[in-house]
Amino acid sequence: MEAFGGSSPLSPALVGRFRQEYEKVVTSCQEKIQHWKKVESDYEALQDRLHTLPNKLSYDIMVPFGPLAFMPGKLVHTNEVTVLLGDNWFSKCSAKQAVELVEHRKKYVRKMLDDLQKVMKNFESRAEFTDLQKMSDAAGDFVDIREEIEDHSIETKGKYGTAHKLHSKPKLSTVSEVDFPTNGSDTKFMGHFQSEEELWAHLEELERQELLGEPDRYSAAVALSCLELRKLQACDSVYTQRILPMPNTVETNGEDASSSEEKEDKRTDLNRMYRAEDCITQGDFHKEVTNSDLFGGQVNGSTFYHSDDEDDIDVGDNSVPTIFFSHTVEPKRVRINTGKNTTLKFSEKKEEAKRKRKNSSGNGHATPELPNIKTPADIYRVFVDVVNGEYVPRKSILKSRSRENSVCSNTSDNSAAEFDDRQGVQRSINCDEATQSDNSESIMEEEEAEGRQQLPKKLPPSSGTTEAFSRTVIEKEPLSPSLIPHPVIAHPVLPTILERKSEGVLSKASEETPKRISKFKAARMQQPS
Amino acid sequence: MAGRELREEGERLRRKEELSRKIKEQKVVVDELSNLKKNRKVYKQQPNSNIFFLVDRTETLSQCKNTLDELKKAHQEMENSEKTKIKK
Repeated sequence: MEAFGGSSPLSPALVGRFRQEYEKVVTSCQEKIQHWKKVESDYEALQDRLHTLPNKLSYDIMVPFGPLAFMPGKLVHTNEVTVLLGDNWFSKCSAKQAVELVEHRKKYVRKMLDDLQKVMKNFESRAEFTDLQKMSDAAGDFVDIREEIEDHSIETKGKYGTAHKLHSKPKLSTVSEVDFPTNGSDTKFMGHFQSEEELWAHLEELERQELLGEPDRYSAAVALSCLELRKLQACDSVYTQRILPMPNTVETNGEDASSSEEKEDKRTDLNRMYRAEDCITQGDFHKEVTNSDLFGGQVNGSTFYHSDDEDDIDVGDNSVPTIFFSHTVEPKRVRINTGKNTTLKFSEKKEEAKRKRKNSSGNGHATPELPNIKTPADIYRVFVDVVNGEYVPRKSILKSRSRENSVCSNTSDNSAAEFDDRQGVQRSINCDEATQSDNSESIMEEEEAEGRQQLPKKLPPSSGTTEAFSRTVIEKEPLSPSLIPHPVIAHPVLPTILERKSEGVLSKASEETPKRISKFKAARMQQPS
Repeated sequence: MAGRELREEGERLRRKEELSRKIKEQKVVVDELSNLKKNRKVYKQQPNSNIFFLVDRTETLSQCKNTLDELKKAHQEMENSEKTKIKK
């Protein structure tokens, strides 16, 4: 076809060749059309037959056996038709259903016919054109239009072309680099975008500028993907995005229960997700922080949308604006399996304890209020018990040697039985030891004995004044190395409802019975010696 | 132009041939049906398959006659159009 476009005139041989090829195509098309027409007519006949087939119970037919022989017979079960679906799969259906199937197949056949007709027509016209070419040369009715194209014009065309291309980057010289507007954008964003589209447009603009200006910050591909993602997510509800856990925000989230996480879900917008994604893709928290400046505006915009009080958004004055999410510390309900379905509730004391511990231990982290939890050990360090004015970390319940006896074990009935026995023993020992015990204490014991599982007690050598049966966990040393892998431990927890009462009692009791030591504690003390 | 005409001519010829063939076939069918004894059974083949359904003789005879007439008409029209073209 290009030959017709204005190159040198065609030789008759070439033209003849063209025609031959086109003719071939046309004839093949015609054959195919013939074939498909026959198929269509067969289907029509089949449809007619299927329509009338159920009218009679049985038909007299000539049954073929072999290619040449027939036998008179009857066609029965006239409504049951087995249809070949292809690939040796058959479907048993009624005559009506078979009719529908046939209709569907006819549709396909018609489509094939149409396509073939079009192709044939196309090639026929092309074949004609070869003749016309000849005709035009002779008769002069059709003029071959030719235009000489000069070489130098191609360059200019190319130059103009790039500008008009959709995704071409404009030349850097013509575009002034825009300092990424951190503060400026903040103020702008603070002023609340009226429409979502404005926000998107602005963000895209910033993205483009970012791409142009500072490619080292993050790859263009990531940025582009972010752009696209954002566009996609703009359509979907922002609130349904899942949160990817971000180490940066663990410190804020560490203590929060799932409820607060849900809040974050809502709060989180694309921003967070992108941050997390970038984290994951790049594995660089610094970069994540730098990315945040890109989304800083968005975050601020998000506050517009979400107006969540708990979000603290800091856009730093330094060159790397960072966003810090802070959350109000909520009392956390931690459910520990104490066997009696008791729940641990954070009391305010414990929060204070945490904070004091933090300050004392000198954990310096970005958010002074919230503890930095990075390992499970941190959790246990942070969630401390207030015992007699001292803040002692809790031992993991899993590390308790006397876990079987501990409150937390709910594993088997045997353990419970053993536990009861030991309780009895324990009690007796304690009774023997604490001859000077208060009535309140005994009452306490009884209360404990009645329904609740008890804690084996360990007295820390430092305090030395605690008593048995206090419901708080008392560890030997907060930072002793024996703490962690210690097989002997115990105590988990378990403030129960009686905690407050007992704590009051405890303080009294602790003063008065220094000698009480649980047998387990005694055993342990013997061990290292 | 000449090519197109040639092609059209070829098509017409093909159609004509087909038509005449069909007419011949139909004539044979009609003759055979009419020359059957009364007690004979007539079976009609289901297209594209090897199954023959029993049909009524008189009915099929009339049907075949109708088709023959139609084919003859078509043939006639073609001949008429050709004649008019030739006359032009």
